[in-house]
Amino acid sequence: MNTTIKEQNGELVAFFEGRLDTAAAPQAEKDIQPLLASNGKNIVLDCNALEYISSSGLRLFLTVLKSAKAKGGHVFITGMNNDIRNVFSMTGFTNLFEFR
Amino acid sequence: MKRHLTLHNDIQEVPLLASFIDEVAEACGIDMALTMSLNLAMEEAVVNVMNYAYPKDTVGNVDIDAEFADGRLTFVLSDSGTPFDPTQAGTPDLTLEAEDRPIGGLGIFLVRQIMDHVDYQYSDGKNILTLSKNIQTINQ
Repeated sequence: MNTTIKEQNGELVAFFEGRLDTAAAPQAEKDIQPLLASNGKNIVLDCNALEYISSSGLRLFLTVLKSAKAKGGHVFITGMNNDIRNVFSMTGFTNLFEFR
Repeated sequence: MKRHLTLHNDIQEVPLLASFIDEVAEACGIDMALTMSLNLAMEEAVVNVMNYAYPKDTVGNVDIDAEFADGRLTFVLSDSGTPFDPTQAGTPDLTLEAEDRPIGGLGIFLVRQIMDHVDYQYSDGKNILTLSKNIQTINQ
């Protein structure tokens, strides 16, 4: 699992690559700290290369969303595969995020 | 078809579980989308044991038995930790706004969403969680 953060067109984009399972979550949590530290910039969670997510990963996504919303920012998700889309649907996460 | 796996209560062993589920699913002729769902349900159930069954800094095991018979795939998880019935966990409110959604509480909910039956027993000093799902395989 790799998490990379880049600034693109004034937005913070996090690229998730691989399996965001419980074993990978502690490192991913460290890697996303710049998203939590940002002050109101829009955030994009790029899931084009994300293969799998469990509740540990959902927890991180929700943490990013709560932090961004508290500062008036938006969180967009892009590139989810059907399996991950299904996990979002089962947990009601589809209604929480904005999608591109 | 029967398979067995023993893991320690160490979340770094979760990838071993994923390989085990992939192997079980392949042996049963289960498609990739369902394999991912089974992976998710089992990760949530097993991580729950890893995180909560044993006191902190105590090494313990979680045993996983898989059996596929008569179109039904059954996993039995057992551990010798503190008695705990995960089937008693409350259902999260999925209609809440992000601000009000609690950060946790989705793991066991996902298990129940994916599996057809989830049953807990405490017997002979062991937590025994049985999870099963009826499977339409490619071969049927």
